[in-house]
Amino acid sequence: MKEPTARVDVVAGPWNKPRPSIDDDSREFWDGLREHRLLLWRCGECGAWYWPKAYCREHPVGPYAEGMGWTEASGLGTVFAVNWHHWAFHPGFADEVPYAYAIVELDEGPLISSTLVGDVPYGVPLVGRRCSIAYEDHPDEGFTLPRFTLPSES
Amino acid sequence: MSRRNDPLAVVGLGVVAGPQPGVSQRMMAAEAARLAIEDAGLRRDDVDGAIDLRRTGGGGDRANYSDAFPRVLGLPVNFYFQLGRGGALAGLGAAVAASFLDRGLASYVVLVGAVDDWSRAQRSKKEGHRGMAHAEKEGYWGKALGDLRAVSHHSWMAARHMAVYGTTSEQLGAISVQQRQWACRHPDAKMHGRPITIEDHQNSPLVVEPYHLLDISLISDGAVGYVLTTADRARDLAKTPVYVAGQGFGEVAAELWWNKENFTHMAVAPAKEKAFGQAGVGLGDIDCAQLYDCFTAEVLFQLEDYGWCGKGEGGAFVAGGAIGPGGRIPVNTGGGLLSGYHLGDLTGWAEAVRQLRGEAGDRQIDGCEVALSTGHGGELVSPGMCSIHTSTVLTTEVA
Repeated sequence: MKEPTARVDVVAGPWNKPRPSIDDDSREFWDGLREHRLLLWRCGECGAWYWPKAYCREHPVGPYAEGMGWTEASGLGTVFAVNWHHWAFHPGFADEVPYAYAIVELDEGPLISSTLVGDVPYGVPLVGRRCSIAYEDHPDEGFTLPRFTLPSES
Repeated sequence: MSRRNDPLAVVGLGVVAGPQPGVSQRMMAAEAARLAIEDAGLRRDDVDGAIDLRRTGGGGDRANYSDAFPRVLGLPVNFYFQLGRGGALAGLGAAVAASFLDRGLASYVVLVGAVDDWSRAQRSKKEGHRGMAHAEKEGYWGKALGDLRAVSHHSWMAARHMAVYGTTSEQLGAISVQQRQWACRHPDAKMHGRPITIEDHQNSPLVVEPYHLLDISLISDGAVGYVLTTADRARDLAKTPVYVAGQGFGEVAAELWWNKENFTHMAVAPAKEKAFGQAGVGLGDIDCAQLYDCFTAEVLFQLEDYGWCGKGEGGAFVAGGAIGPGGRIPVNTGGGLLSGYHLGDLTGWAEAVRQLRGEAGDRQIDGCEVALSTGHGGELVSPGMCSIHTSTVLTTEVA
């Protein structure tokens, strides 16, 4: 089966919300998003997947978790929990409420969180629904944000 | 080294509650310390240690003011430092102060937490923010994406519990309603004199669904201080000592987070085992429980995790009125963070002390001899929040 192509949105202009927290532990992850690849942290010895970065828990590890690295993941997952933000706590979100914010259980195992974008039905249970990574490019700011979409139920 | 036989005792309590416009955090802390020292029947010169309880995790990385309350109040202390983990303040502070008292490094330690969250939130509201914009930590994963406040990430706990166990918003509302009943018996409570019904809960605005406004704790100004000393010193002071009979701690980062169970469970198991074991008590001995209640689901989880009801049965348990006045286990008898005031676990700690001293007025639990006070907080895991659980058993008698 052919992998579905990830949704990509390009948003021009300045960013008026809190900036993403990109640091030495996550820079490669964010670089991956700009290339439209969802990277997870993986153990080269046993294949265990992590997010965020971690020392492998499955066996003894070397200095600075050597032998582990950022590895492209499927971008597929399942909604684990979701809420609907009705209040815009920051003025930058005033035009976006209500929005659905989900914890997603990725098929590789780790949990990650972001908003659900596209057609998101309100008032129906979403936990357990399949979802996939989407990319929101901000070319004027130099970062790409991860979002998730629900495939249509056709 | 074995544990000392004598437990430590809370001998003084000072509470500054209600909005304090124009009063600094520093002065609120100094005033709570003064009240606590006076309450114990001590003089300021007796206090030789001070701990500043800061909501570090949820309240910014570093001290947001210098020149702290021991200098302001003129306390001749040999040590002062800051400690705290979001809502885990009082319990952690007691455990740390214990090492100074046990080793003879201090005789009387005053521990104070102060917040000016209400005053700060009033200011940031004018810039278009809502809630505690000042308290959210730099570096938190979800901020750019729309996960902006404690209610953003805590509402997942309610959402997940609903999805797994079928818990309803009305059941969570029963927690709000019963805590409000307690608040209406507590003159210091913000919501004193303002009873609510389940309909009020359901009709209150959806903030971050599934949470309504009435699922969310208050934003407060104020301070709570207490004085901790050894049991031998405690016997000679002004107030009946309240003994720290047992303490235990747990972190979801140990196992629950890795198993993705931290959205339906709190790290109660290891904390309860130690605290109840040291105190020599069982669940049936607890006369009132001051359970950390930043949001309604945290109360529900703890009722299940401590064993007052089975996992997943919390909704039905609270809907039957189990935690209000006359209920099976009185919970957050001062109104808690939801309806009283929000000073982290110091809110419940102060209420436990008052109940054990028989100072709780219209809300006094008859024959209250054993109280549980819990704390919760800290950004150790991502995604998710509030890793630590602290459990303290406070008693009127030395075990």
